[in-house]
Amino acid sequence: MSENPFEVLKEDMENEEVYLKVNAMHRVKVVATLLGSDKIKSQLIPYFETLLKKEDDEVLFALAEELGNIAQIIPNQSICLLTLLEQLAGFDETVVREQAVRSITIVCGFLADNEIANTIVPMIIRLASNDSNFTCRVSAVSLMCPLYARAGNQKEKIRQKFTELCSEETPMVRRAVATKIGEIAQFMDKIHVIQDLIPVLKQLCQDEQDQVRLLCMESLMNIAKILNSGENKTNILPLIIQSAEDKSWRVRLALSKIFADLAEAVGKEIADSSLIQIFSNLLKDTECDVRVIAVKSLARFIKFVSPEKLNLIVPLLQLLSKDPFSQVKQNACEVIGQIATLLPKEYSQSKLQQQLIDLMADDNQDVRRNAAKSAGQFAAAIGPEALNQFVPFLKKCMDDPKWRVRKETMQTIIQLALTVKNPDVFNKQLESVFVMFLKDRAAEVRSMGLSQLPALIAAYKQEWAVGNFLSKCVETLSKDVGSLYRINALYAIQQISFAVDGPVAQDRLWPIVQKCLKDTVPNIRFVSIRVAKSLSKKIDNQQTLNQIKQAINELIDDPDRDVKFYAQEALQN
Amino acid sequence: MQRTANSKQTPTGRPQAQPTTNTQQARAPPQMIQNMARVTDPKHVPKEIRDQFLKKIHFCSQPYDFNDDTKNVKEKQERSQYLQELFDLLKEPNFVANLVVPHLDLIIEMIEKNIFRPLPILKKTATNGEIGMEDDDQLIDPAWTHLQPVYEYFLQLIVNEQPDVKSLKIFITHSFIQEFLELFDSEEPREREYLKNILHRLYAKLVPRRKMIRKAINDCFYTLIHETYKFNGAAELLDILASIISGFAVPLREEHVIFFKTVIIPLHKVQTCQFYHEQLLRCSMLFLSKDPTLATFLVEGLLRYWPFANSAKEVMFLNELLEVLEVCEISKLEPLIPKLFKRLIKCIAGPHLQVADRAMCFFENDYFLTILKSYKPFTFPLLVPVIAQIADTHWHKVLQESLNALKTILKEIDYQAFDKALNNKDPKYLYIIQDAKNQKKDRQKIEEKWKNLTKQALQKNPNFKEPIVPYSDTHIVGEHNGLNNGNITII
Repeated sequence: MSENPFEVLKEDMENEEVYLKVNAMHRVKVVATLLGSDKIKSQLIPYFETLLKKEDDEVLFALAEELGNIAQIIPNQSICLLTLLEQLAGFDETVVREQAVRSITIVCGFLADNEIANTIVPMIIRLASNDSNFTCRVSAVSLMCPLYARAGNQKEKIRQKFTELCSEETPMVRRAVATKIGEIAQFMDKIHVIQDLIPVLKQLCQDEQDQVRLLCMESLMNIAKILNSGENKTNILPLIIQSAEDKSWRVRLALSKIFADLAEAVGKEIADSSLIQIFSNLLKDTECDVRVIAVKSLARFIKFVSPEKLNLIVPLLQLLSKDPFSQVKQNACEVIGQIATLLPKEYSQSKLQQQLIDLMADDNQDVRRNAAKSAGQFAAAIGPEALNQFVPFLKKCMDDPKWRVRKETMQTIIQLALTVKNPDVFNKQLESVFVMFLKDRAAEVRSMGLSQLPALIAAYKQEWAVGNFLSKCVETLSKDVGSLYRINALYAIQQISFAVDGPVAQDRLWPIVQKCLKDTVPNIRFVSIRVAKSLSKKIDNQQTLNQIKQAINELIDDPDRDVKFYAQEALQN
Repeated sequence: MQRTANSKQTPTGRPQAQPTTNTQQARAPPQMIQNMARVTDPKHVPKEIRDQFLKKIHFCSQPYDFNDDTKNVKEKQERSQYLQELFDLLKEPNFVANLVVPHLDLIIEMIEKNIFRPLPILKKTATNGEIGMEDDDQLIDPAWTHLQPVYEYFLQLIVNEQPDVKSLKIFITHSFIQEFLELFDSEEPREREYLKNILHRLYAKLVPRRKMIRKAINDCFYTLIHETYKFNGAAELLDILASIISGFAVPLREEHVIFFKTVIIPLHKVQTCQFYHEQLLRCSMLFLSKDPTLATFLVEGLLRYWPFANSAKEVMFLNELLEVLEVCEISKLEPLIPKLFKRLIKCIAGPHLQVADRAMCFFENDYFLTILKSYKPFTFPLLVPVIAQIADTHWHKVLQESLNALKTILKEIDYQAFDKALNNKDPKYLYIIQDAKNQKKDRQKIEEKWKNLTKQALQKNPNFKEPIVPYSDTHIVGEHNGLNNGNITII
């Protein structure tokens, strides 16, 4: 019964299969809990030392993680784990050393400030100065960020080492620095950010490797967040300008990606005065991938500039909506919808409406789809008067050969109907487009319309449901040969039944369903049974109820198995 | 090659003005060469010739959008013409000495401006990417026809003897090499071929720059191993390395040994290894021919980075392993013997036929059999019971035959040891072919122990959270998915 935990671990680690060893490794905290701190130090850690040399990377990865867990078991003495972790942090395999860095951070959480100063800082410096192994230096960079704040009077030393690594010849290290420079800045006093980090950031932004420059972009944004407007203007803005003109499109793309956040970080003033101009160039970039991403950012970017400056963007949007590359247009649609909510109505109507309408007739189906989507937003922003102009085109979109476009259009129509909430507008403009779902070829579109029906009935009341709409359903039921259309119409009637009172259900709906119970297609018969069943829940009149019961009863001997089943089920409960 | 590229580039339907400018330009090179030939004092090139030459270089340095054939049609054609002329003039020694060499700075700048560009992502035109289909379509960079003449020019410039080391050296700086190496990631195979040839010759010619070039290549591989895991030009770089390695003096310098251990060996573990394995193998073998003691490190590396759930790569590893073993000194192998034989037996008993077949080939190798004999006390108890059992039960006839043959070989080597090993029931060696039920029972025993321990831990510390183990019998891929030989359980 009383197993020696350490022996069990060793036994399991003798296993041949790597995955079992990894499992065993993850159970180390059981062993550590039972052994207690003394034995962890005297037995477990020396044992782990032996593993370092012979085990597979998978096992060492697990070890690196578990050392962090052991630290939580012996928080006061976790310093003893550092020798192991330091070795793991210098390992070849990337995942192992990254995990080791995370665990070291956990350990540091338990250490007192003087321990950080006496043990951790020297360790970081040691790693950072390891000339033969760049992996150590990369790990050191990752460690500096979380620990800088606690380095006390040794901050200067770390800063110095960090900036030293920025001019490192090994590109791997420079890439690590470029990624982390924004992070470490968060922990530094502003004066040091400006004095120490900005110069090296400038240097990294001009690195010979585009990968390094690319990684700087995110950091640029993070640093911009902590500086004030004036500091950003002198320090960050030149770098943004320079990167926007970078010869590598990958860098320009990375910049485009973060441009909205960057605008948020530097604030409205700089965004208004300078960023719009820079961003305009990115939107006109020669590389189409850059434009695609830039337009995507534009949708958010417009929120961070003053509305009155937006008219600088509009001409660009007009240009982008005619871009030869369809993905650009696709994203431009979204922006047109967004920007309409921010611009004066007449202005967007005169400048962008035609563009959007053109996009709704684009060759590319994704463009048409997005355009239909944005049309809703656009029309809603401008108000009911814009509907006149859009509805004919939305109607055209409902004839699109691609069902995805039709589905998006249907959704737009429904959204519009739900936002305007004006029966007049609805009856005149939107309803005729909406009822097209009843006759759509694609099930997706039909079920889309069906699913939103309750919301529309709630908005436009019973009068509409049993009036115009019901007559359309009846039309479909009587004229349409396709059974699937009729089924769809039947379900629509079921939806209506949920919203109306007993007498209406009895007088208006039941006769329709009654007819359908005798349909030649079995599927329609059993759908009718289900609809009749839900009607019967609404109706109080005993005579009608008997009628329903009888009609279903007649189907109990139906030649079709499924109809029989549903009839029986309906009668049972 | 140049000519064909040009003629291809002149499709019909171009504006009428084109042919006339074309013929005018076409006459230029011979004229220029003739002019040059008439120059009596080679030290004093007439100003007009020099100006013409510089104008052309300058013209060729202009960037154009080569992805769009409809833009700057005229300029692009002119550019091709000029490049052709510049290229032809490289054949005139007099000209090279008096114009090219003095203006090497402008020429290199022209080359840099043309080839140092952010690499494009080549988009596949066909969208029918059926899964598992071999995609033989090469991706073609539309700019290539315009870049090729520049590369050709660069190559000839380096090959040419007149620009000497001293004058070239100034331009081939660290950042030049760095940018040059980045181009190796190009998806255009013809571009990589040029890059390879050029870098190769630069390395050969610029002795003072060799160390720097090697270091830059090193960094390139580090990036591949540690960060990107994919680099299109790895095979080409290894090709260059192969010839660099052949030039290493014996005994190897420490720097080269470090390179072997930190680059060549870890390159085996990269996921995209199959794209450059052939070249990697050549480099490895060249290293071993210089210093056979490195072989054990490579064997260790191979066993350490053994592929998982990738049988094609496993076959490659087996091929390499056998080749490397032949170089190993038998006595040095001792610490690796258990891992080596366990791996082999796993391959033989594994579910993949080709892998098993390759592993069986080891036993046809005399040197390997010597290794096997030298470590008989370990190898026999491991091999014999497994081989004996699967020789009886293997599902594939051909393999079963060779397993039987192997059984006979083992018997012949040492009959007594064979018998003894056959009766050995030590589960340590038998686990591979062990019955699934027994295996489970063994596993359960230790799982039980863990359970108890966890309970105790909970008693000791009520806040203790039970550990979550990442792998269970039901979700391990590849060889751990329960598909052991003779025990096929579909999960």
